[in-house]
Amino acid sequence: MHIDPINDLTVNSFIVYKEQSKNIMKLTIPFYLHKVGAGFPSPATDYIEDDLDLNTHLITNAPATFIIRVQGKSMREAGIYDGDLLIVDKSINPKSFSTVIANVNEELVVKTLIKEKEINYLTSGSENIIDKINLSENPEVIIWGVVTYVIHKLQ
Amino acid sequence: MLYTSYNNKKKNIALIDCNSFYVSCERLFNPKIINKPVVVLSNNDGCVISRSEEAKKLGIKMGEPYFKIKDLVKKNSVHIFSSNYALYGDISRRVMKILKEFSDKMEIYSIDEAFINLSFVENERLEEYGKEIRARILKWTGIPTSVGIANTKTLSKVANHIAKKNKTGVIVLDKNIDDELKKFPISDIWGVGKQISKLYIKNGIDTAYKLKNISNTWVKKNTNVLGAKTVMELRGIPCVALVTQEPKRKSCCVSRSFGKKVENIENLKESVTTHCLSAAEKIRSENQLTKSVTVFIRTSPFDRHRKYYSNSITVDLPIATNNSIELIKASIEGLEAIYKYGYFYQKTGITLSKLSDSAKEEFNLLTPLLETKSKSLMKAIDCTNTKYGRNSISIAQAGVNNSWKMRREHFSHIDTASFDDLPTLKL
Repeated sequence: MHIDPINDLTVNSFIVYKEQSKNIMKLTIPFYLHKVGAGFPSPATDYIEDDLDLNTHLITNAPATFIIRVQGKSMREAGIYDGDLLIVDKSINPKSFSTVIANVNEELVVKTLIKEKEINYLTSGSENIIDKINLSENPEVIIWGVVTYVIHKLQ
Repeated sequence: MLYTSYNNKKKNIALIDCNSFYVSCERLFNPKIINKPVVVLSNNDGCVISRSEEAKKLGIKMGEPYFKIKDLVKKNSVHIFSSNYALYGDISRRVMKILKEFSDKMEIYSIDEAFINLSFVENERLEEYGKEIRARILKWTGIPTSVGIANTKTLSKVANHIAKKNKTGVIVLDKNIDDELKKFPISDIWGVGKQISKLYIKNGIDTAYKLKNISNTWVKKNTNVLGAKTVMELRGIPCVALVTQEPKRKSCCVSRSFGKKVENIENLKESVTTHCLSAAEKIRSENQLTKSVTVFIRTSPFDRHRKYYSNSITVDLPIATNNSIELIKASIEGLEAIYKYGYFYQKTGITLSKLSDSAKEEFNLLTPLLETKSKSLMKAIDCTNTKYGRNSISIAQAGVNNSWKMRREHFSHIDTASFDDLPTLKL
């Protein structure tokens, strides 16, 4: 018996990419615990785990989840950097201190929602409270979605 | 004889239709165009195919050629978009996925509308259920919809029309159906085409109510099966079933008009090759093979200063195939046979016909052994293209510069299903 992770990976990725044409959010990475040489019965066969699927980890509700790219540096304090990808779920309701995408002055922006005694505010970053937007006083400001993850590339 | 509706045998069909779908998709990541007149144009920026409410109020008509509304657009600062089918397709898939959770029995009728069977919902709860559908699609995808519920498909279409003008966006047509049908113009009924509606009007039948109460003998004598079905459906008797499974296509056509007229055969070859590539990819994804390719070319029928020429040719293939290279070879041969020098071509297209299931593939003596090798090549091309974006791998014949490519001057460059064109937020 012979397990070749490289070859198996290619076979697997064929199937995956075919599926991908229907749903971009499906990508599985085969997860092997051991690399085993040819001609030797693999003691690892019983330990091959299920595929790791980052999508099921990062996305709970696919039809309501959008991935948005960020440009600019003003949300560094909130841990969002230039070029990062935001995973935004439109279906969930924000809690206090949720990072949200909101429609403010005809523009989509990233803000933090703060709930104080039944009143909802939007702020940019936690330290700058001056530019608070009171949501009940500004009904035209609409929460577009809730940011659930930030994908930040280090290298 | 007057027909009352058959309330006891409820079927409860809901038609969910996205409001100004393409415009709503463009608005999703572009709040600047909310509450403003917006228009989406067809391929090549030809004519109007989607309008916001504000644009409708300006008098912009569906299907109107873009050049005719240019003044209106300037005067009223109407926002114009070239169609972005990658985006609309992804949003449509999301909407349909959400709908599927409300009912298993579903017919996707077009990119922006679907019928679902709601027989399992009690009559008293229907409106609430419809509102829930609408609210969820709006919250999860940002797309506003209208929901019409009734006990036949034709009546649910009527209900949907009324819902479009209603504040709640949801109409259950069970009581007072006749009052609504009396106000409903004959030409707006689903399945009543231009010709037949002329015939009806000539005979004094100008509302849905009058059509519903027409005598069976008159219908039999003056219309066809479709006409009879429409009448029955208006009476509340289901005659058109939900098509829950898509039938396999029997042919596959790809054609495009050029952004600018093309004279040179090399350019025509490039475009025909590109058509072959996408048609072949399409039938491969559905595991189908084709036995013949039809190539057609034509000049503009509206150009009065130049000679008109249009021709087509069908090339039969020795064995059924879905191999891009084989198809390209055959269609280039066909193109060379019908091409005439000295004309300015506006459109080319190819049609793959006699499609069959590749599982039932037949072999003959000519089936080359190489076939399996090229099969893996095609698979590799498809996979690379889905991974790295359309046309990452192509055939050199398809060309690189493509001076004939589609006109897309107002393209939004957003694709929610591709990492290369994700919507961007500037912070």
